[in-house]
Amino acid sequence: MATTRAGGWLQGRTVRKGGALSSTNATRSSTPQQVQSTSSTIYGGGVKDPSGRTAEFFVRQSMDDQCPVCKSDRYLNPKLRLLVSSCYHKMCESCIDRLFTLGPAPCPICNKTLRKLAFTPQTFEDLTVEKEVAVRRRIAKNFNKRREDFPDLRGFNDYLETVEEITFNLINEIDLPETEARIQKYKAENAALTELNVQREEAYVRALREQEDQERRERETRAFELQREEEEERLLRESDKRSIIDKLETSDKDALKVIAKAKAQALKRSTARNASNSTAQSSALLLRSRAAQSNIVPDVPHAPFNDEYHAYESMFSLKSTYNDFMSDAVRKDREGIMRAGGYMVEEAWERAIRCAVAGLDLSPLVGLDDGIPRLPGLDDSGDVVMASA
Amino acid sequence: MDAVEQENSERQKKWLKDKKIGEGTYAVVYQGREAGTNRKIAIKKIKVGQFKDGLDMSAIREVKFLRELKHKNVIELLDVFSAKTNLNLVLEFLDSDLEMIIKDRSLVFLPSDIKSWVAMTFRGLEFCHRNWILHRDLKPNNLLIASDGHLKLADFGLAREYADPGYKMTHEVITRWYRPPELLYGAKYYGSAVDIWSVGCIFAELMLRIPYLPGGSDIDQLKTIFRALGSPTEEEWPGHTKLPNYVTVGQFPKPPLRDLFTAASADALNLLNKCLIYEPRKRITAKEALHHPYFFALPYPTHPSKLPKCSTKQDTPPLGEMDGNLNGKGRKRKLSSPDGKVRSIARKLDFGQVVAGSDG
Amino acid sequence: MATPQAQDSEGSENLPKRPLYESSTQYRNWRFSFDRLARTRASMNRAAVAAIRTKIDAGEPGSSSDIAFLDADEEVLLVKFYIAKMRQLSHFLQFPEEVEATGISYLKRFYLKNTVMDWHPKNVMLTALYLSAKTCNSWIGIEHYVAKIPQLQPSDVLDLEFLVAQSLSFEFAVWHPHRALWGIWLDVQSLPDTPVQLDISIYNDALKYVQASRLTDAELVYTPSQIAIAAFSLASPGIASRWLESKNASNDSMNLNVVEEIKTMIHFQGRPVDIEAVREIDRRLKLCKNPEKVPGSKAYIAKKAAEERKAEEKRYKKAATVQTAAEDGDPFGNELNNTHGGPLVDYDDDDDD
Repeated sequence: MATTRAGGWLQGRTVRKGGALSSTNATRSSTPQQVQSTSSTIYGGGVKDPSGRTAEFFVRQSMDDQCPVCKSDRYLNPKLRLLVSSCYHKMCESCIDRLFTLGPAPCPICNKTLRKLAFTPQTFEDLTVEKEVAVRRRIAKNFNKRREDFPDLRGFNDYLETVEEITFNLINEIDLPETEARIQKYKAENAALTELNVQREEAYVRALREQEDQERRERETRAFELQREEEEERLLRESDKRSIIDKLETSDKDALKVIAKAKAQALKRSTARNASNSTAQSSALLLRSRAAQSNIVPDVPHAPFNDEYHAYESMFSLKSTYNDFMSDAVRKDREGIMRAGGYMVEEAWERAIRCAVAGLDLSPLVGLDDGIPRLPGLDDSGDVVMASA
Repeated sequence: MDAVEQENSERQKKWLKDKKIGEGTYAVVYQGREAGTNRKIAIKKIKVGQFKDGLDMSAIREVKFLRELKHKNVIELLDVFSAKTNLNLVLEFLDSDLEMIIKDRSLVFLPSDIKSWVAMTFRGLEFCHRNWILHRDLKPNNLLIASDGHLKLADFGLAREYADPGYKMTHEVITRWYRPPELLYGAKYYGSAVDIWSVGCIFAELMLRIPYLPGGSDIDQLKTIFRALGSPTEEEWPGHTKLPNYVTVGQFPKPPLRDLFTAASADALNLLNKCLIYEPRKRITAKEALHHPYFFALPYPTHPSKLPKCSTKQDTPPLGEMDGNLNGKGRKRKLSSPDGKVRSIARKLDFGQVVAGSDG
Repeated sequence: MATPQAQDSEGSENLPKRPLYESSTQYRNWRFSFDRLARTRASMNRAAVAAIRTKIDAGEPGSSSDIAFLDADEEVLLVKFYIAKMRQLSHFLQFPEEVEATGISYLKRFYLKNTVMDWHPKNVMLTALYLSAKTCNSWIGIEHYVAKIPQLQPSDVLDLEFLVAQSLSFEFAVWHPHRALWGIWLDVQSLPDTPVQLDISIYNDALKYVQASRLTDAELVYTPSQIAIAAFSLASPGIASRWLESKNASNDSMNLNVVEEIKTMIHFQGRPVDIEAVREIDRRLKLCKNPEKVPGSKAYIAKKAAEERKAEEKRYKKAATVQTAAEDGDPFGNELNNTHGGPLVDYDDDDDD
């Protein structure tokens, strides 16, 4: 089935001639000279690393390279680039162009029928390695079971051994038809589980990338924050200096103490700032620990209010307008200044009416019953407790 | 001794000071405990007589409103007593605030966490508004977190009653980054919508982990807002060009919120949008917000006890608080540099032992 | 809104909700029965007389027996006079209604905890009004305040400010009948057969009754809404009773009694005091006031000296500790790691623990 990984590597993309390959970041510190393509077709794919971290392999001793077909080497042709066929034979780009531009043709070395697009750039120095890696990659796509998919360790190991056998056969071209049949059989039987594992893998990669993104974002904001804090710190230091001078002028306290005090404060501030920039923990770790926590105390649905008071809402209903002399100013607000600022006369009305109904049915206290607020300094019978003069 | 003085000394005995934990220009904060129960408290001692006109106005405001507001999501004023010429406010002890939590990079926020914090903020705010009190200084710094995870509104030094028949109010309130455009335009008549704008900014900050609209000056603040939300039109916000300090700051198109808040759910964005509507009358109210589908949708808001907490008890002085104007938070200010946990991590990652010649 | 609440986020049950007014300090701490008021005032007065007697006798033995001390009712009368004065002052300074009403409440509450023989209401009145302007967002600076009032110094007002705040237990928020009255005015427009344009003179009359009620003890016993509807009832009984009916108050008969009681109170006690009686009281007050509180008297000076001595002791103690700390360490901060257990930097300048 078509893979969704790393884009369709069978597609060719056109690129301007002479432009550098729009490829990968070379991770090696000493990248040898970039060999530029002379052809107008870009050969993508091959043993390509989807994260784009490994680069095309470039032969170190460039001078020794020679195309086995046309025997040209780099001396005459500095831009010589050797590509690999699907039967793992090397030849240079001009030969490929010459032989295959008009359509499929047999490989000059082994006579296998090849198409032009079957050629890929080399990734490994040793072509056998290249072949093996390609085979393993193909197998891994179809045989992706994990330890968890087996009831016991024995079963998992048996599975792994089977996979190795198949791989070995493919690499060394032993019993090819039979091996291929085995592969097809396995594929048919395990389609569902394979697909599931593919998705699991994808999800993992996605999560990883999100985490990286978040960390990157955090780093950015932190840097920004830091910059701002430094600016603040600078301003603060200046204002501190000024305030020391002010204090020394106006205060009659001991000058030494004033300076010491100011220094102490500045020191506190700077150490606190330094400490707050300590290393951050991994987000994933925290999220996992929080997930565990939520089983202990459950989150409850939201309730709008959590207090015990009502505001007499049932005792009145607000009209949209009133005949009200008190809000003359609002009515005269022809330019709408009050309104633009957000003053709402309706709020004033509501407040007044609430006031009018608040405590309306509260019975006044009588007698000297207990439980009513007593003025402090008085005893139970209301007599003043004699304090010391 | 007068009855009043005696009452006071009775009160004073109940609250024991343990140690000083901070100081500002007009108050000193101690950590202490309640005699008998050993409940942790903070005592904010306000120096009377600093103010040439008598009792300081913000002290009066704090006391006035905290005395009346008793709610799970509003800091609790346990008692007030005076000692000679000092006013002592006994507050519940809260050692961290939302700003510290946002800035602590070792903490990861789940969407349900943000939901929980925003819900608690709205509940506390709705209760204030129900009592006709505007907070007028909402910012993460002033949303304190208790040890059981509950969030509490604090610092009522700028609070005021509203819904009076047409009284002028000052527009110089609310820390700039959380100030709504009507105040930046100098509106002297406004209402509860100003607090809602602040909550919107805090909501955004919880999602972004950095302040959403940080302006450098009042004009710059307007620009920042309009760049983020598009310039308001007369249709959107009738009459705004007539506000006292109206100036044009350039025309900016309205970018979709989704572009910046990539991880937010549709419900969350809808609520955020409603908090940041330009016309104050159309802005959502706290009560309506508490009934918004965002809160009823899955995931449920995290239970307060499971919310992320600051990993180490450090003091990161908040950016907006330069002169140390402290509130009843009881923040610890250690004189020595915090070591211990941080140091040992640094030692583990010591690269000093790399063998020469190996690839990095 | 009778919608039953689902289980709330804290997991507590469906409690019947309490009305918001009951969360206020006014409801919790400043609500009394008439008996309680009388008892409190009587005890306060007795205790004050006894204490002052002692102080006067300390200066000149036996001198107190000639003095005619004030009784509780006379104290109330004097305060009432100054309530009216505060109203005049508030108008003169063009303060809004809220400031006047709150200031008057502060004055009343102050004298539930203090006696006029310690603190004369003519001074407390000025401070209460100033404080009220602060708490009601109409604050004008002290300079402006004293500028308008002849012969008044800032210290006259500010010296008492803390005491007044303390006497109020720092409970500054007061609910008032005049706002409730406005609410009634609006809400009656929702009644079925009310004429669209109500005559504004009804409101004005009712407001006068509300203002009269401030001279009485009504706010200490009844709720602002009750006082408001009583005032409204005096102005327009028909509409008032229809409104009350519509409110379907839980206990109708109780409600009407209350309204009648308040109406009576306003009618009989909401009148200005007889100025001659007040003059008489004031005269006697000069003789029986607490010498300790009178600047310049022997007892006052003695008390101040005692206080000063105590403060001085404290200062010496503190200086000693700071000195030892400074001698042991470098004041420039090398010793910030508290090797001797106490902060080198003295944050606490005027600690009075």
